[in-house]
Amino acid sequence: MSSVEESKIASLKAQLKQLNQEYAKIKELPAEKRADFGKEMNLKKQKIMAEIAEAEAAAAEIDVEALDITAPCDTNGQMPEFLTADFGSQHPLMTELDRVMSIYQSMGFDIVESRQLDDEYHMFDSLNFAKAHPARDSYDTFRTEEGFIPPAHTSTMQNRVLKAYKHKLDEGQAIAVAVPGRVYRNEDLDATHEHTFYQCEGVYVSETCTLGNMLGILREFFEKYYGQKLNIATQPGYFPFTEPSLEFKIEKPACIGGKKGDFLEMLGCGMIHPNVLKMAGIDPSKYHGFAWGGGIDRLVMLRYQLDDVRHFESGKLDFLKEFSC
Amino acid sequence: MLISLNWIKKYVDIDIENDELVKLIGARLVEVEEAIDQTHKYDKIYAVQVKYCEAIDGTHLHLCKIDDGGKATDVERDENGYVQVMCGAPNVHEGMFAAWIAPGAIVPQTFRDEEPFKIGMRKMLKKYDSYGMMAGADELDLGDDHTGIVELNPESTKPGDDFAKLFELDDIILDIENKSLTHRPDTFGIIGFAREVAGILGKQFTTPDWLKLDNCKLDSNKNVKLDIEIADGQLCPRYTALVLDSEAPSEKKYLSLQDTLLARSGMRPIDPIVDATNYLMLLTGQPLHAFDYDKFVAVGGSKTPKIIVRAAKNGEKLELLDGKEIELIESDIVITSNDKPVALAGAMGGKNTEIDANTKRVILESATFSLYNLRKTQMAHGIFSEAITRFTKGQPAGQSLPVALQFVEMLKNFKLAAAFDQYPGAVQPEHVAVSLDQINTLLGADFSMKEIEKTLQNVEFDTTAEKGKITVTVPYWRTDIHIAEDIIEEIGRLNGFDNISPVLPLHATADPNPLFALKSKIRNFLSSRGANEVLTYSFVHGDLLKKVGQNPENSYRIVNSISPDLQYIRQSIVPSLLDKSYGNLRAGYDKFALFEMNQVYSRENGADEDGVPNPTHQLGFLLVDSKSQSSYYLAKKYLTQLLEKLGIKYSLDELESTQNAPHAYYEAKRSATINADGRCIGYLGELKTSVSRSFKLPQGAAAFELKLEDLLALAQDVQTKDRRISQYPSVSRDITLEVPLAQKYATIEQGLRAILEDAGLIYRLGATSIYRQGDADTKKLSFHIEFASPEKTMTKTEIQAIMEKLEQVK
Repeated sequence: MSSVEESKIASLKAQLKQLNQEYAKIKELPAEKRADFGKEMNLKKQKIMAEIAEAEAAAAEIDVEALDITAPCDTNGQMPEFLTADFGSQHPLMTELDRVMSIYQSMGFDIVESRQLDDEYHMFDSLNFAKAHPARDSYDTFRTEEGFIPPAHTSTMQNRVLKAYKHKLDEGQAIAVAVPGRVYRNEDLDATHEHTFYQCEGVYVSETCTLGNMLGILREFFEKYYGQKLNIATQPGYFPFTEPSLEFKIEKPACIGGKKGDFLEMLGCGMIHPNVLKMAGIDPSKYHGFAWGGGIDRLVMLRYQLDDVRHFESGKLDFLKEFSC
Repeated sequence: MLISLNWIKKYVDIDIENDELVKLIGARLVEVEEAIDQTHKYDKIYAVQVKYCEAIDGTHLHLCKIDDGGKATDVERDENGYVQVMCGAPNVHEGMFAAWIAPGAIVPQTFRDEEPFKIGMRKMLKKYDSYGMMAGADELDLGDDHTGIVELNPESTKPGDDFAKLFELDDIILDIENKSLTHRPDTFGIIGFAREVAGILGKQFTTPDWLKLDNCKLDSNKNVKLDIEIADGQLCPRYTALVLDSEAPSEKKYLSLQDTLLARSGMRPIDPIVDATNYLMLLTGQPLHAFDYDKFVAVGGSKTPKIIVRAAKNGEKLELLDGKEIELIESDIVITSNDKPVALAGAMGGKNTEIDANTKRVILESATFSLYNLRKTQMAHGIFSEAITRFTKGQPAGQSLPVALQFVEMLKNFKLAAAFDQYPGAVQPEHVAVSLDQINTLLGADFSMKEIEKTLQNVEFDTTAEKGKITVTVPYWRTDIHIAEDIIEEIGRLNGFDNISPVLPLHATADPNPLFALKSKIRNFLSSRGANEVLTYSFVHGDLLKKVGQNPENSYRIVNSISPDLQYIRQSIVPSLLDKSYGNLRAGYDKFALFEMNQVYSRENGADEDGVPNPTHQLGFLLVDSKSQSSYYLAKKYLTQLLEKLGIKYSLDELESTQNAPHAYYEAKRSATINADGRCIGYLGELKTSVSRSFKLPQGAAAFELKLEDLLALAQDVQTKDRRISQYPSVSRDITLEVPLAQKYATIEQGLRAILEDAGLIYRLGATSIYRQGDADTKKLSFHIEFASPEKTMTKTEIQAIMEKLEQVK
C-alpha cells in the first residue's frame, strides 16, 4: 500500500473517531432534538465509512501483485490439472436441443437460432396480430423501456426466416427451417411454470405442401425422436398467424411410460396465414406453408421423469451432476 | 366456461354416447378441460309433499311427515306410509312440495368434495328421528339461498318424482378452455355451441326463428320518452334499448328449470329480471343489462331522457352495482343518462339505476361495444364477469335486437312499451369464395363439392357452387370468417383434421448450423474435462450489475419484471455464473467449473437494420477452487486448449483498466485480453477481490469469456497442424533458463520454438516448472524438449549447436 493511500485512510479513520465522540453528546441534548441530531450524525458517519471502504478497495487494487498472464503455472506452483472428466456434464436442455436439431436437419430443415430480444413488429405485427388485439395480451410478454420484447414464442423469427430463405422458392425448392430458442413469459414460477424456457419453431413453405404434409412431418419427427411408430391426434386451436390452426398430440410413447389412448399435447401448428406470407414478400396465391412451435423443456421432463421445471435454470450441481458424462 | 350437455341436447339431436361426443368436441371444436359427470349427482333425491308440519316449541325446528310416493328404502314409515323429517327452514309448511334428500343420498353441494357428505337418519333434540333432509338451494348446489328450502310447483310435481328427472339434472358439464375460442364469440352461447356440435356430427342445425335477423320486426311505440345517441360508432357499433312496463308484481316462488340451467352454467339465480338477462346471455352469448327507467330519468334530470354512449372522461366517478365506487379512465365506455354516468359499458351497471322490488319500468340494454376498449376496462378495473368475458370476444351486432325481443317473451309480467335501436354502421353479410381445388390442395384432402356444401350448410352458411368454385354467405354470428382459408379451416375442422392422411413430403438433408456445431464442440470439450454446463436467466438484478462493476445504464431494463431480481437484461454471462457459485460451495462442492453459452445484450452493442438490439453469443466460464490461491492458470489451460482444439491462433495480452466496462469484474493486473486475428475476442482472468468477496467466493476465482461469433469466424474446421513424426531418432532434453523476474514466459517459449523451427526440426516442447528462489530477482524456467530432424540422424555436434542456441534464449 502506498503512503498516500495509507495516510488518506488514516485521516478518514480519525474523522470517524471524532464523529463517534461528538455522537456521545446526544445525551446532553433536549429529548425533542435528539432524533434530528442522531439522523444527521448517522448520515455523516455513513458517508465517511463509504469513503473508507472505497479507499481501502483502491488501496487493495494497488496492492495486487501482477501475474505473468502468459505462463502455464504460477511461479513455484504446480502445473494445473483439469478437473476429473466424469465430474463434467452437459445441460440436459442443450443436449436435447442438439438431438432435436439433428433430427430436423436430417429431415431437410435448416437451423436458425431465435433471438432473445426482439420488437413488436416481429413478435406480433408480422404475425397478423391485429393492433391492440387481446390475443397480444395472452402472451404475457415482458417489455423493455424502449418497447423491445424478450420474445414469448419462437414464431418471432418467422418473418425473418421467410425473407432469408425466400430465394429457395425461386429456385423451385421448399423453405424448411427449424428455429430453436429461448423464450420468456411473464409468469410466476412454480413446479410447472417457468418464465424462461426453450421452444422450437418449424416453418415450411412450398408451392404444393398441404396440411396432410404438416401432419406427416410432425409425425415423422416424433417417431424419430422416440424411435417408435406413433399415433397422432389433433385439436382445433387458434393462433392469428395460422389458418387453420391446430394443437398436435401424440399417443404417449411406451418408453416414457405411455399407455394406449394416453395423448400428450406436443405443440401448436397450422397453415401459415396468407397475411404472414404477404408480409414476408411471398405471394400467398402461389405458395403456402405451415408452421409449428413446441416446448423443449417438456420433452426433457418427460424423458427424465423430472417433476420440477425450476431445476433447469437453478445452476445447482446436485441437479447437473445427474447428467454427468 | 361451463356447458351443460343437456342444454345443448335441446338444440341438437345427439345419437352417440357422451364419451364419444366429448372426444369429438375435443378433436373438432375446443379443448374440454374436464367433462364433469353429474349423472348421479341427484340420485335418491325426490319430490315430496309435506303432509303434516308441527313447530316444536322453543326451537326453530318443525316435525314434518312427508309423502315420498313410497320411494325411499331404509326408512320407517307411519301408518299412512309417510316418513318423518325434522326441518329448520322457516318456510316449511303443510301441503308444500319440497326436494328431499333421502337417506343414503349425497348432499349435492358436497358432490365434488373429496369425501361427499352422505345423509342418513339423525336423532334430533334427543328424541325425534329425522330421515334425510328437505333441502335448500345451496344444499342442492342450485343457488346461494340458505334462507329456506326450495319449493316445487305443485302443478307439475307428484310425490316421489325423481328430482333429477323433473329438472333434467342427469347431466354432463363440460369445462371448456376459453382461450382457444378467443376468435369465436358465437360459441360463447349454448345455441352457437350446439350449432358446432351439429356440424361436427354432420347434422343440419336450425337456429331458432326468434334469433334470426329477418324475423325481427320493431314496432316502435313513441309513447315513451327516450332517445339514444352513440357518440362514437367505433366504441359502440349498435345500441338497442327496450322499455318494458310492469303489469303485475314479479313473483318467484318455485324452483324452475331455468334456475338449474343457470346454476349448471356456473351462475346463480337472483331475481326474475336479472335471471332472464343471464339466461339469454348464456343461451346466445349476448350480454344484457336492465336499468330502472324511472331512476334512469331521475339521474339525467331532463325532460327529454336520452341514453348517451360515449368514452369516459379521466377522473369521472361511478358507483357500481357491487357498491364499489370507481374512477373511470378515458378508454372506458360509459352509458349515461343525459351525460350522467349510469353504467360502465360491458362491465357492470351503476348503483343509481339498479332494478329493485319497486321497479315499474325497465330499460333493457342489448348492445355491442369495442372489444379493445372493454379489454382495457377489464384490466383497469379488474372485472372478469361472464358478461365482459363474452363482450371481449366481440359479440356480433346482428344479434342485439333479436335477443332483446326474446327478453320480452320471457318476462310474463312485463309488456313492451317501446323499442329503440341505433345501428349506424349496419354491416352487410360477407361473401367469401373458394375453389374446390384450393380446399383440397391446402388440406391434402379429397372432398367433393357436395360434401363441402353439406358441411357448410349444416352450420347455416348459405352456399352457391358453380364450376368447382363455392361462394359462401357468412352468417352474422361468424365474425371470424373473412378469407378463403377461414372456409378451408371449417371444412377440415368439422370433418375432422384427424381424417386427413399424414404424408411426408420428399426431402434432402440440410447442412448443420455452424453456430450450433461450434457450441456442441465446445460443450463436448469442456464437459469432458470436468466442467458443468449451466443455464441461467437472461434477466438479472440491478444490484448484480453493480456488484460486478457493470453500468446498469448499459443494460436494457424490463419495465414489467416479475421481481427486481429479473429487471435487467444481462450484458455478459460470467456474473450469472458468479451468482450460482455460492449455493454450490455451500452444498459441499469445493472445486468446480461452470460454463454457459447464451445470448447477451448491451446498449453499446447497437442495433440491426430493423432497429432491434444486436445479440452477442457468448461463452462464459468460471472456475472456483476453495483450496487454491489462484485459479487463473487452470482457467487458462481450459481456454488455451479449447482455442487450440478449434484451430484458433491467439495471443494473451495485457488488460487495460476495466473500470465500468462490461468485463469490469476482471482484476486488470491478473487478467488478459484474448486476441486473435488482430482483434479482441474475449477476456481471461482472476476476479477482483472485491467481486469474489461480494459473491462469497474464495479469492482467486478465475473466469474467461469468448465471443462465439468470433470463434465461428476464426475456427478452422479443417486443421493443418504439423503432426509428422520423424523416422530418425529423436533427442530428449530438459533445459532450465534463468531469466529476469519480469520476463514474460511467452517470450521465452516463443524464442525456443523459433530456434527449433528455424532449424527445420520436428519437435515437442513443454514447460515443466517455474521456480524462483526466495526473493531473487530472477526465475528459472524449465522445459522438456524433444526434437528430431525429418531428414537424417542428427550428429552430436548438430545437437550441441541447437542446445547452445536454446540456452541463449532470454
